[in-house]
Amino acid sequence: MSEDNGHLVRMVGIDKYFGRVCALNGADFSVKHNEIVSLVGDNGAGKSTLIKILSGFHTADKGEIWFEGKKVHLGSPRDAKNLGIETVYQEQALAPHLSISRNVFMGREISGALGVMDGHRMHADSIATLEKLGLRVKDSRAMVEQLSGGQRQGVAIARVLYFKAKLVILDEPTIALSVKESQQVMDFMLQLKNQGISVIFITHNLFHAFQIAERFVVLARGEVLADVERSGTSVEHLSQLVITGRHEVK
Amino acid sequence: MARDRLISRLLGYQSTFTLLVFVVLVAVFEIFTPGNTFLQQANLYSTARLAPDLGIVSLGVGILMICGEFDLSISSTIPAASFVFVQFLALGTPLWLDLVATLAVGVIIGLVNGVLVTRTRLPSFIITLGTMLFWKGLLYAASLQMPIGIRAWLKTGSWLESMFVAILGGALPVNVLWFVGIAVLLAAMLHFTKFGNWIFATGDNETAARAMGINTARVKVIVYIGVGVLAALVGLISCLRIESFTANQGVGTELRAVASAVVGGTSLTGGIGSVLGIFIGTLTIQIIDSGMILLGLPAFGIGTFIGAAVILFAVLNRYFSRWSTR
Repeated sequence: MSEDNGHLVRMVGIDKYFGRVCALNGADFSVKHNEIVSLVGDNGAGKSTLIKILSGFHTADKGEIWFEGKKVHLGSPRDAKNLGIETVYQEQALAPHLSISRNVFMGREISGALGVMDGHRMHADSIATLEKLGLRVKDSRAMVEQLSGGQRQGVAIARVLYFKAKLVILDEPTIALSVKESQQVMDFMLQLKNQGISVIFITHNLFHAFQIAERFVVLARGEVLADVERSGTSVEHLSQLVITGRHEVK
Repeated sequence: MARDRLISRLLGYQSTFTLLVFVVLVAVFEIFTPGNTFLQQANLYSTARLAPDLGIVSLGVGILMICGEFDLSISSTIPAASFVFVQFLALGTPLWLDLVATLAVGVIIGLVNGVLVTRTRLPSFIITLGTMLFWKGLLYAASLQMPIGIRAWLKTGSWLESMFVAILGGALPVNVLWFVGIAVLLAAMLHFTKFGNWIFATGDNETAARAMGINTARVKVIVYIGVGVLAALVGLISCLRIESFTANQGVGTELRAVASAVVGGTSLTGGIGSVLGIFIGTLTIQIIDSGMILLGLPAFGIGTFIGAAVILFAVLNRYFSRWSTR
């Protein structure tokens, strides 16, 4: 069956074991086109495992993944990147002593004969991409180390935006950021949606999640506990689900 | 505007600092040496003759440090290459083949270093310390530590000597041109190509580089091979210049090369450095040598000054980088 029902990606019946530990048990997870979904749950619930399978770091032991209506096999991060699935880690993916443009284009530098980089284009394109996110930098040759935490996340997000990601996964993007910087990062995520990109983000901060997510998927003990639209839930309700790990008894 | 950017990118703030220090040192030596002999032709000439031997390997070692690794084995690569060269000379093979075989020694030693470091993931300082001792032991056994002159097989005036140890116009040693030429090529590679960006990325944040699809192991192996080839070249050049192989050629070079790189602003943890900085750093170490001699200081005391200079520069570079990123 190749219909996608408006879904960009569908993960169906995902099982994942690490030795004898069951990290995911029959998990179903999907994201529509141009949607922001927040993946929540307590530590050990399986959130990171699920997105690592989606970004090609792990392979599921059982289950299927469908992307844009076609069944796919994600054997490596490169497979995921080729499809347009990009992951934004925290600052782990930036080199602090390199410039913004060298970071945005790391590994995918614009170059010509003999690998000579086109510095002008890299500079211009990175400035333009950052502006699309609403981040204004004076000089793309400034070292990333000199930027604030929120701006650094902006650079990491600009990277996936430039390389035409269709689905962007962010793992705890606002952790260790100030209130102002967290707001900045959430604005970036909204900008991604404005560019037609779907976003999955994992967070422990339900208030942040509630500001921009359209749908919430709650994981507990490797299983999907709840999959609710924003209109059908609240921060308190989500909080209850995460803490107790089960539906409330009515 | 674009030219200013180009210049400031080429220099990098560390190189500016190193250059300032270099100029100050030259001035100090010129003022304080008896008879102001420092800037006279005889001294400049002898400095120019010796600097390239250190400089060519320092360029390699420094770029490897930018990539995040060390190579202590160059002090064994230099005499090993020299020894292999002499053996091939004795075989009577054509000179171009002797040249290729000599450089191949560098390729092999570099490849072994690179594979060991990337596969074992042990600190390169330890791995290359081990390979240094390993090759040195083999060399001592093979050569019985006896020097071997080259004149029995190589008549003066060969093209090889013209290429590497001639003195142009009676004043400019050709190995200076090699040093400058190699520096220009490596600067172009390191600062303007994507491979150069991979070297910086690997040294600055290897996890990020790998996440972005850069094959950091391959980058390191290639750089290690480059260091090996440069060290082999220096082994050949010094053999041709002193007209013999000696088992203690290159002794102490590995640490002086690191010193040159550090004085030139290369970070010990990777990701920071420039070819221009390493170039000036080499000259700085070299003029400390010759300046000290001209000042009449005892030769064994020179090491003390170089050691102090290395510590001072490592500390000053850190303060300078903090100040400039305020």
